[in-house]
Amino acid sequence: MKKILQLSLGIVTAVGGFLEIGSVTTAAQAGAQFGYKLLWPVLLGTLCLIFLVEMSGRLATVTRHTVVDAIRERFGFPFFFFVLLGTVLVAFMVLVAELGGIGFALEILTGIRFPWWAFPVSFVVWLLMWKGTFGLIENGASLLGLLTVSFVVAALRLHPNWTSTASGLLPTIPDSDKTRYWFLVVSILGASISPYLMFFYSSGAIEDKWDRSYLPINRFIAALGMTFGGFLSMAVLVVAALALKPNGIQVETFQQAALLMTTALPKWGFYLFALSMFFACFGAALEISLTIAYFFSQGFGWNWSEDLKPSSNSRFAFVYTLIIGLAAVPLIFGVDPIKVTVMSMALTSATLPLAIVPFLFLMNDPIYLGKDRNGWISNTVVGVVILISFVLALVSIPLEIMGG
Amino acid sequence: MKRLLVTAMIVLVSCKPPTPAEQMDAILSWVGSAVMLGSGWLRHTTPDSYTTQTLSLSRDHLLQIGAELLKSPPATIDSAGLDSTLTRSRSHIARMAQLVEARNSPAFRQVLDSLQLDQKALKQIADKVEASQ
Repeated sequence: MKKILQLSLGIVTAVGGFLEIGSVTTAAQAGAQFGYKLLWPVLLGTLCLIFLVEMSGRLATVTRHTVVDAIRERFGFPFFFFVLLGTVLVAFMVLVAELGGIGFALEILTGIRFPWWAFPVSFVVWLLMWKGTFGLIENGASLLGLLTVSFVVAALRLHPNWTSTASGLLPTIPDSDKTRYWFLVVSILGASISPYLMFFYSSGAIEDKWDRSYLPINRFIAALGMTFGGFLSMAVLVVAALALKPNGIQVETFQQAALLMTTALPKWGFYLFALSMFFACFGAALEISLTIAYFFSQGFGWNWSEDLKPSSNSRFAFVYTLIIGLAAVPLIFGVDPIKVTVMSMALTSATLPLAIVPFLFLMNDPIYLGKDRNGWISNTVVGVVILISFVLALVSIPLEIMGG
Repeated sequence: MKRLLVTAMIVLVSCKPPTPAEQMDAILSWVGSAVMLGSGWLRHTTPDSYTTQTLSLSRDHLLQIGAELLKSPPATIDSAGLDSTLTRSRSHIARMAQLVEARNSPAFRQVLDSLQLDQKALKQIADKVEASQ
């Protein structure tokens, strides 16, 4: 019974962790500009994430190591430090974007500009981290994040053309706006394959004391949870294609994105969007703050557990306190979270090999995983997607910057 | 791998600053946002504070993009006509924001209708710019 309960909570975690400001923004921009044509990177990213999440859960249940622990142990501290720098830098940018997303949700609800919300929002996130337990963060925020299912309702109410939708799942080369198209492909892949989710998930498996008996459940959570998360992202893209594209709206600001559901759900669409973003970004901000604290603590061999009191793992608590405080600073000075989001999603793609390649080596190491090591299918899917994502990121990021 | 390199080359060839067509798309995007927002406000689907703030944002962006475009307008369009349509659109949007604060729906509807006419005119200009490229 306990495992069945954990299964449902795990699925909720996956759903809550998948859809946040990055995936909503990139999917909305893609749908508003290119219609259904960019559904395929969402599918590709989701497929890759299913494998990555399953692998990180498998590593934790079989070896009792988190991904961070194992990378440091297997490759040594100097290499680990390099991974830490790249991953934490990008995760920090994503945290800024998520805190900004919460601030923006509050701005459109109250009319008070988002920089004013930066400090109160960061304080509440920190307070929950300080006082809360892992279970509260994992399940409370994620359950509220389920409000994002309203995007699916909105998509269905707009009666999408299913043939066009299906054709969007196949890659195409556009006739115009090529730079923008490929940059969005990279951003969507970056938003879907968030390495922080992988690190969070493996640490969570240790926090929840998973053992080998959880292997089938881990596989089920990864497949079902991430598929559902990807489905939500696709719903956002479809809504943008049907509600914003006909009006010629390209999503450059959060205010424009807030119009997404007003056509499909006239009475509640605006408020559902604002609340969905609030809870989804809140959940993601908690998960990223925790992940960064896990990363430092596991990497440097400090005590770590969200279930312990801050006095028992003071360095762990210090890291998230510092990170949350620092993330509020750019927002107080009015840095646009949408710009940070778009750039951080693309940078996530560019830095994916840094975190994923050593992880793939680990997952194929018989000393660590024995008979539970990766098969060729998971190696191929993850390897190919990461390569595509990396090459496209290297080409499109400089072009997008040069093109303004 | 070969396919990826071809794609990379296609992307490299397309490297350029925003074209007049892209600037016109951005203009249409902000006018479209104001029209959608206006229709939403009339149906009571968006709150007043969000509506006025976003209308102001639309007006500011139109001013900025319009000024950049009119610095070197494409030869195929009547730049004076574009300038006057943009000025009119901005003034309609500003008026809409005032009418939201006054909660004057009938007058708001009239101004929104005028903005939709400007939207059509801008769309025609955008099509000309697109065709000339």
